[in-house]
Amino acid sequence: MLSFYESMNREGVVLYFNGPISQSVVEGVGDMMRRKMEFEQNGMQLARKVFSVLVEQMQNIICYSRDTCSPELGDECIGTGQIMVGRSDDQFYVACGNAVRRDREDRIRERLDTVNRMSRDELKAYYKEQRRLGPDQESCGAGLGFIEMARKASRPLQYRFDPIDESTSFFAVKVHI
Amino acid sequence: MTPLARYYMAPTKSSPEIDFDPETHSLRIMGESYPENCARFYEPMFQWLRDYLSASGDRPLRLEMEIVYFNSSSSKTFMDLFDLLDAAAGKGKPVSVQWRYHPENETAFECGEEFQEDVRHMSFALEEKPD
Repeated sequence: MLSFYESMNREGVVLYFNGPISQSVVEGVGDMMRRKMEFEQNGMQLARKVFSVLVEQMQNIICYSRDTCSPELGDECIGTGQIMVGRSDDQFYVACGNAVRRDREDRIRERLDTVNRMSRDELKAYYKEQRRLGPDQESCGAGLGFIEMARKASRPLQYRFDPIDESTSFFAVKVHI
Repeated sequence: MTPLARYYMAPTKSSPEIDFDPETHSLRIMGESYPENCARFYEPMFQWLRDYLSASGDRPLRLEMEIVYFNSSSSKTFMDLFDLLDAAAGKGKPVSVQWRYHPENETAFECGEEFQEDVRHMSFALEEKPD
């Protein structure tokens, strides 16, 4: 544990979580991170951006687990994944990683590539347009999460997929604030 | 027809306080909004509002909103809410929305502006609210 702790510290990791994520984790971890950043005088604006991306990412992880729970029956959906908030070159980043079905990979890539090609103004227009259209069937929220992240980011969203087995990939995305 | 009862939801960590009073025609939504399932959380509120709109005629309606943070799903829900009210305003019901934001919360201000740009008939005011 100590070497893990030391390497995390060396790499500027402020928060790391790996395991089951439910809505109560989103609320607890999100709020704790927001308070900590406000307390450390990082500026309200930065604290809010980090909080916002963190919430979108954690709720996405829960979302990818929807196949295995029934929210309409009052089930609390529990996703599994990693989240990380860190600092490099005086800039914060928020990253997450989780398993996704391989047949979802193309759709996720397409969404990320779309937002990565857009300017600030294009992102704003796209956000408003999608907000009115409503989600496609593959989304479980409003389908606006990646656009929201891109609007909070100072650089294109970095992502990758690594195959786990024939039906699952590991999906990771990093958002520089 | 039985008069419409007041609609009240107490706030939680991830959902706002909602207080709709049919007698004073004033609606209030205050707090944070990032519930696990946004559509499901707000559905009863929309149901109430549709009933209210069909019963209240052209009495002026005032909605105050003060949202510290909302996630992207809530953004969609709020747009649906404003579209519903804007449609009523288009048919002649006086509707005014006060979007309140803390002076240090630039995001809340910008989000209010983006909603303001997307409504046509009702009045939509941005109000700075100090501590």
